[in-house]
Amino acid sequence: MRSSTEKAKETAKRELKAEPLESVIDKMITENYDRSKQSVERERFFEIPDKMVMFYKYSYGQQSRFFSELQKNKALYGSKCKGCGMVYFPPRSRCSECYSDTEWVRVKDEGTVVSSTTSWYATSEFFDKVPYAVGYVKPLDADTAMLQRIDLKSSEFVEPGTPVIARFKEKRIGVVSDFWYEVKE
Amino acid sequence: MKSYKKMKSEKGRVAVVGTGQTRFEARTPLSTYFELALEASSEAVRDAGITFAEVDSVVYGIYNDLFERQIMPDTYVHDYLGLYGKPGTRVTTGGATGGYAFRSGFAEIASGLADVTLVIGVEKAQDCYDWAQGKSTPEVLKSIAYSADMTWEFPLGTSAASSYAILASAHMRKYGTTEEQAAMVSVKNHGNAFNNPYAQSPMKISVDDVMASRMISYPFKMLDCSLYTEGAYALVLMSENAVRRRGLKDPVWVLGIGSSNDKSFTGSRSAKDRLGMYGDIADLRNHYAAANGAYEMAGIADPGKGIDVAELHDAFSFTEIQGYEAMGFCRKGEGGKFIENGVPLMKGDLPVSPSGGLIGAGHAVGATGVMQIGEVANQLRSRAGKRQVEIKNGKGLAHSIGGPGSSYCSVSVLGVD
Repeated sequence: MRSSTEKAKETAKRELKAEPLESVIDKMITENYDRSKQSVERERFFEIPDKMVMFYKYSYGQQSRFFSELQKNKALYGSKCKGCGMVYFPPRSRCSECYSDTEWVRVKDEGTVVSSTTSWYATSEFFDKVPYAVGYVKPLDADTAMLQRIDLKSSEFVEPGTPVIARFKEKRIGVVSDFWYEVKE
Repeated sequence: MKSYKKMKSEKGRVAVVGTGQTRFEARTPLSTYFELALEASSEAVRDAGITFAEVDSVVYGIYNDLFERQIMPDTYVHDYLGLYGKPGTRVTTGGATGGYAFRSGFAEIASGLADVTLVIGVEKAQDCYDWAQGKSTPEVLKSIAYSADMTWEFPLGTSAASSYAILASAHMRKYGTTEEQAAMVSVKNHGNAFNNPYAQSPMKISVDDVMASRMISYPFKMLDCSLYTEGAYALVLMSENAVRRRGLKDPVWVLGIGSSNDKSFTGSRSAKDRLGMYGDIADLRNHYAAANGAYEMAGIADPGKGIDVAELHDAFSFTEIQGYEAMGFCRKGEGGKFIENGVPLMKGDLPVSPSGGLIGAGHAVGATGVMQIGEVANQLRSRAGKRQVEIKNGKGLAHSIGGPGSSYCSVSVLGVD
């Protein structure tokens, strides 16, 4: 009969199918780190490159249909309260006003900008996109507005009240950035 | 809610009796977050004339685990302060962390759970480092952006600045508030900071300088924005019984606390709801609700006349203008005029943020709200040094806000007998 420690060793060997992504990142940042600077500051304080990294396989739960319709059908779905009739966009499974259940409803691609801003500074992930506009857009047949990117084209700002229409990326993976709005001509 | 009047008649009031802080600096590589917390709280305890042994409980205001590179950072502060055996809890409500931590500290004493409570706000943001750009700020912004809803808002490239800029745009549209009026807030607060030896950003600048500074997120320019700061601020709160027993001379009483969380999905505020038609997002109704709650508890009918000094939350210059209105210092939509007329200047009728506020003193997120309350307490007990303003009614206010679309707001009103 195998001991539990032997089982544990075998499991460890079997389960790891690739180099852990954390180790890959570790190598990248430590290889590029300027050690000479570290030793100059050493008298007063000692610094090291470090990171906090997490990976997920995230389920959208009861909001899932929004993303499947977006990805498969280029369709925007909200949810309508069976009690008070409020149309939520983004959708929610239960009304936050009267706590009745909601049902899925398709909302229009056309909407109105509630308010927006134009970002000229961003984190590295978005830095090559500046300037870009983000704003709250309310579809014509919904009661709440959703944050979304609004194509600036040649302008620098999108005024509140501007009519917009949804556009969809060719390659959609089921994330909110699969679509955006542009000003309706 | 128990009124201040009732607490006073029952001799059950809560006082601020000690303050302590570190310098607010862009980066403090010589100190970790727990070392900053130790420095500020040692000062606060000394100021109150007590020892750590006499502390019954602690409330920690620390916003962001990613800043500190540590989940549950409070437990390591607690250990470092040698406070084992005593209860410690952490509050984290974005930019409003300090205000809400104070609320919890007040509750510890008002409920009778403790006689002496330490409220410690600490933050150390700038160890975050973006290896692609070779600097801290973009990575600090990223760690804050994770506070946006990860499914619906983060993937769009939102930031703290864009979240508040959208509210400012709505205010400009509805009331005609101008970028120049907001710039006046920046000029005032950078200037006030010269009188605060702990401040990060004292600057002599003009409205033109603000207008010409680089665009961050329209309508916010660089000089409309507070900078990220490392530092700590601590308060010692004490029950009325303990104050009397120790014969402390200048306790600053907590007259009222009001707090309100609005919907964190700013877009859902545009619907008709239980709180009435919102219609737009120009007016921050949770700020109005928090102020009204604090005034009601304090028994203040006319804040324009009753309040001597205020520290308002100016993470962005426009936000202070929205604050004037929500705090009742002026009418809805007249916040721009309020600064234009000079009322909140040091020599005005109602000086706002003599410390320099977040723009001048710095925004050490979890420590910020605690700092604002400590500043008001020191004004009321005439210990504000060069930034001291005239105290006529013996009342001051601190306004602490945070979260996506400013969804958290806590207002604290303090006073002296």
